Amino acid sequence: MNDFENRLRRALRPVEPADGFAERVMRALPAQHAPANVVPLVIVRQAAPVSAWRRFSAPAALAASLLVAVFAGQHVATLQAAREEQAGLAASRELMQALRVTSQKLDLAYEAVQRPAPAPAVEEENRS
Amino acid sequence: MNPESAQGEEPLLLERARRGDEAAFAALIRMHQASVFSIGFRMLNRRDAAEDLAQDVFLQLYRKLDSIESLEHAGFWLRRVAANLAIDWLRRAAYTRAAPLEDGVEIPAPPTCEDPLMDRELVRLLGELAPAARAVMVLRYQEDRDVAEIAAALDMPVNTVKSHIKRSLTAMRGKMIGAQLLTAEELS
Repeated sequence: MNDFENRLRRALRPVEPADGFAERVMRALPAQHAPANVVPLVIVRQAAPVSAWRRFSAPAALAASLLVAVFAGQHVATLQAAREEQAGLAASRELMQALRVTSQKLDLAYEAVQRPAPAPAVEEENRS
Repeated sequence: MNPESAQGEEPLLLERARRGDEAAFAALIRMHQASVFSIGFRMLNRRDAAEDLAQDVFLQLYRKLDSIESLEHAGFWLRRVAANLAIDWLRRAAYTRAAPLEDGVEIPAPPTCEDPLMDRELVRLLGELAPAARAVMVLRYQEDRDVAEIAAALDMPVNTVKSHIKRSLTAMRGKMIGAQLLTAEELS
C-alpha cells in the first residue's frame, strides 16, 4: 500500500454520530416487536402509492384545456360570422336606400322634361 | 449494555435482539453506529443527512433481524444497505452537490502527526467522485473492506470495483499535485 492510500485511510477515519444516537433510534422503533419480513424501507419509498389526484391531474388538466380551446374557438367563429352578416345586411340596406333616392330623382327629372314649355307669342304681345 | 460487553456475548446478542430485547438491539446499534454513520457522512457530506440515513438503516435492520445469521453478517448487511441507500439518496438529487464539510465538524486527531488540512482536502476530493465510485472508496479506505466484499455489497463486478479504485486514486492524486498540496514524489 502506498503513502497516498495511507493518507486517504487516515483522512477517512470513522466518525461517531452525535451522543444519544442509539437512544434516538430506539425511540423511533415501531411499537410492536420484531415485525420480520417487512419490505425494506428503500423499496417502500420507491413503491409509495401515488394518489389518484396526482396521477390523473395532468391528463385531466390537458383535456380540460383542449375543451376550453375548442369551445372558445367555436364561440369566436360564431361571433365573427354574426358580425359579418350584420355588416352585409347594413350594406344591403344602404344600397337599397341609395337606389330609392336615385329613382325618385330620375322621376322628378322625367316629369320636368315632360312638362310643356310656356307659349312665346303671349310674351311678344306684352312687349309691344 | 456497552459494546465491549456485547462483544463478549456475541452469540446471544443477536438472538436476544430477535426476541425483542431492546437492550440487545441498542447494543447492536452501538457496535455498528460509527461505521454506518460514517458511510453516510462521507457519502453525503452532511451530518444531519448522515444521521437520518443511519437511523433508516438501523430501522431496516430491526425489521430484518430474522434474516440476519450472525453479527458478521449484520456488519456486512449494514454496510451494504448504508452504501446503497446513500447512492440512492445522491441519485435522487437531494444531495448531489458536494457540499463542503460543515463547520464544527471535528476530525479526530490522528495517532501520528499529520496535516488536518490535507485530510480535509482528501475528504473534499472524495466528495467530488460519482456516487458509485465514492461508495467504493469509502468501503475500501474507511471500512477497510476487500474488493470482493465491496463488489458483493454494491452488486458490481470485482473488476469494476478495481477500476473505480484505480481511477479515483489517480484523479485524487492528480488534483492534490495540481493544488500543490503534495509533490509527485511524495505520492509515488
